[in-house]
Amino acid sequence: MTFKKSLVMVAGVLAIAGCGNDNDTSGEEANDGDTVTLDVWAMGEEGNALGSFVEAFENEHDNVEVNVQAIPWGNAHETLLTAVASGNGPDVLQLGTTWVAEFAGAGAFLDLSEYADEYDVISNDDFFEGALDTTVYDDGVYGVPWYVDTRVLFYRTDILEEHGFSEPPQNWEDMLEVSRSLADRGEGMYGYDIDQNDQLVPPIFAWQNGWEFNEEEAEENFSDPAFREAMEYYHTFFNEELVQVTEGVPIEQGFEEGSKPMFSSGPWMVNILRDSAPDIDGDWDVAMLPGSERNASAIGGSHLSVFAETEHVEESLAFITYMSQPETQIEWFKETNALPARQSAWDNEELQQDEKLAVFGDQLEEAVAPPVLNQWENVAQDLLSSLERINRGGADLDEELDDFQQNAARRLN
Amino acid sequence: MKNRFEKLFVTSVLVVGGFLVSIPFIWMILSSFKPEREARMMPPTFWPQEFTFEHYINLFTNLNFGTYFINTMIIVLFAMFGLLFNTMAGYGFAKFKFKGKEVVFLGVLATMMIPAQVSMIPVYLLLNQMGLTNTMAGIILPGLIAAFNIFLIRQFMTTIPNELIESARIDGAKEFRIFFQIIIPLSKPIIAVQAILTFVGAWNSFLWPLIVANDQALYTLSVGLALLQGQHSSSFALQMAGATVMVIPVLILFLIVQRYIVEGFNTTGIK
Amino acid sequence: MNHKNALTPWLFIGPAVLLLIAFSLLPILVSLLISFTDMNLIGLRNWDVISFVGFENFIALFQDSLFHRSIVNTLVYVSIGVPLVIVCSLSVALLLNYMTNKLFTFFRVLFYVPSITNIVAIAVVWGFLYNMDVGLFNYILNTLGFGKVPWLEHPFIAKISLIILAVWKGIGINMLIYLAALQSIPRSYYEAADMDGANKLQKLRYITIPSLSYATFFVTVTTLIGWLQFFEEPFVMTGGGPLDGTMSMALFIYESGFQYNDFGYAAAASLILFVFIIVATLIQFTFNKSKEN
Repeated sequence: MTFKKSLVMVAGVLAIAGCGNDNDTSGEEANDGDTVTLDVWAMGEEGNALGSFVEAFENEHDNVEVNVQAIPWGNAHETLLTAVASGNGPDVLQLGTTWVAEFAGAGAFLDLSEYADEYDVISNDDFFEGALDTTVYDDGVYGVPWYVDTRVLFYRTDILEEHGFSEPPQNWEDMLEVSRSLADRGEGMYGYDIDQNDQLVPPIFAWQNGWEFNEEEAEENFSDPAFREAMEYYHTFFNEELVQVTEGVPIEQGFEEGSKPMFSSGPWMVNILRDSAPDIDGDWDVAMLPGSERNASAIGGSHLSVFAETEHVEESLAFITYMSQPETQIEWFKETNALPARQSAWDNEELQQDEKLAVFGDQLEEAVAPPVLNQWENVAQDLLSSLERINRGGADLDEELDDFQQNAARRLN
Repeated sequence: MKNRFEKLFVTSVLVVGGFLVSIPFIWMILSSFKPEREARMMPPTFWPQEFTFEHYINLFTNLNFGTYFINTMIIVLFAMFGLLFNTMAGYGFAKFKFKGKEVVFLGVLATMMIPAQVSMIPVYLLLNQMGLTNTMAGIILPGLIAAFNIFLIRQFMTTIPNELIESARIDGAKEFRIFFQIIIPLSKPIIAVQAILTFVGAWNSFLWPLIVANDQALYTLSVGLALLQGQHSSSFALQMAGATVMVIPVLILFLIVQRYIVEGFNTTGIK
Repeated sequence: MNHKNALTPWLFIGPAVLLLIAFSLLPILVSLLISFTDMNLIGLRNWDVISFVGFENFIALFQDSLFHRSIVNTLVYVSIGVPLVIVCSLSVALLLNYMTNKLFTFFRVLFYVPSITNIVAIAVVWGFLYNMDVGLFNYILNTLGFGKVPWLEHPFIAKISLIILAVWKGIGINMLIYLAALQSIPRSYYEAADMDGANKLQKLRYITIPSLSYATFFVTVTTLIGWLQFFEEPFVMTGGGPLDGTMSMALFIYESGFQYNDFGYAAAASLILFVFIIVATLIQFTFNKSKEN
């Protein structure tokens, strides 16, 4: 007996017990005339804002009514899983860039590449390259970039200046020099801050060192000297106590107090700092991340994807097209501060004039996409655990990374 | 025989202990009146340095309060039916002898032994098969019965003397009349405990309303509150304001119901 | 007991049992069935590609050092936490039962609120208390002349810290249950004891505690079941760290199932957890029965 057969038997019993019906509840039966209701899932606060934002689209398309369902960020993954399991989902949904591989691999979304001729937003090279990279899985295209984010270096201009650094660090050596000098200020003072639970930090260091992940080489990627060197560099910050190993105070507070005068984070941090640390307004700035081979960072954000079971492909793509127009993206940016995924949207004056934003724009051009790979999440988490054992547990760097590589071999093959 | 020294001792232990134990709760309420910056500060302030109502204003203007409240109350109402079923079942297990009782009871307990997330997807698929997704029934049914409550009632009802039930039967009382007129009044304290637990559970319903609903019109207050969080920028003080609003009805209910818990012995005639 | 109709008990338990079978028991059976398959996200969508893999998941689990650690951690949680919860909630209930005036009503509220405090607030406040550098506990220890304690930064101490937190949170409900149970002890017992000249401790030892045994049995069984599924505290406070020192079995299951979509593996781990729990429960029931007889 196969698994499916045994499951069908259980389900059959239940269906009888519950007088079940097999009606497809995802279709919109309650439509009058030719109006199509388009179900859209979007996340959290941003999803809430989308509800009223789509009115402009509805005005343009008389026959489409958009029903936005906002889903809390913390539960988006579970909710998506139930939708995938039942085939009972929305038409269009917001998809975090890191979730493409797992869900596209399961066939949850429509491959948009076959519609690329009709809809020019699909794989349009006006989007940031890193953002487009994460829409592609196994030669299919599973989304259209909606908004992007990337990490940059936040630094205290006043403190760096005090210690003779008029410019933010440009490369790895600068970075170490500045960090060492700032960490030398005394007990409880650090140079930099590294979030040890952030899966993107170790790969960012590796990319900065010229490392590139090559899918065919699987675990051999991790024997690349560029990778190993980057991990050693990462470890240096902990080894020399340039960063705090323990929890400490929240970063925005450490930054304000000056105990952690540099950290890397995304665009959301700009507003958090403006709101929560008004006292240091004007005493901090952002810069591109320092690198060794290149000033790489990671690209994140969200795409819009079409659910495989949708009956409204045309309307879905019309909606996605609307959302990815440069003008719409600028409007959306004004509403939510989400950075436009389209490069031409960045020509807008408001985005141009804000110097801090411009840094994000520059960084986005150097932003690398994490591999769109089913097992990447596991591998990245393994790497964090290994690094924790090195930094906290005093494990030997080379041995630990060899172990990590062996584990990766198991996962990637 | 309660001498003054003993009274003083018990009272002071409770004052100190109670205060220590409830600090996080008090702090939660106080933080909802702090500006975001102060609420996040480490070490935290206890009393707000700067008092603000902005989070409450924000909460009530941004939250679709009416709809969410009604949905939540519907769930609470049905949970009370669930409470009745649980109580009946607890009584059935406590006071009847029948074939297979132990196996059935073990089966009931077994439903507590798997982490809830593990069976989430199968339950959803089942609701989907039954056409219950996007309905109130789909939201309510999965949480209606709790083995914890059945077990609790069973334990307490075993202490009710059998003679009481027997003599009622001899007097010709019907089984359900015995249950409602003799058993329930005797079980006031534990039913009061159950009522609190059931209310808290239903009032905070989160996962099923979220997963089963295809429409925000079916969301509950808890889900609505969770929607006020952004991916990276979540307002901590706003969450505390939401939590404070959510906890007020629970406290009111607790104050009303708790006297049935502690004053039970004045009314029960158990010998 | 005598009742004429054999159907009567089923009328009472029927509705609850039917609902439980449909919405709890069957889904659990399905998920346990999954433990013998290679189900992942692809399989979730297309059941045709799921195949039975026999005991492969279990063999992999027995070789997974993280899973071993989660078992050890869970056993530490249970063996320290469960007795603590029982002793603490019984003591609090006894103290609260001392009088019934307004002041004591207020105390009851105070001891109940930890169980209804928002989990985010709990995470922040306890996160501060336990913070190694700026936390309150270390500040107090420091003023008393002691060194810093790595509350959440050391694999073993972090377990203890989470136990303290969970005991704090678990007192509320169990205290209510004990309070309710205390009401059913007939006053005549105490009056008789008073006439025999028994002192307070003797009354506690020979009347109160034995009379509460049915409630203690309930609290023990449910607390043990709950603590074997220890999840929320490490989930919000430590995420299983440092160095996997607080990883519990339930958190392990959650991560394999929901973070890595390895449903077969997660189901296999929950089957093992299930076996742990059912054995523990059966032992208690057997023990309880032999005590009753």
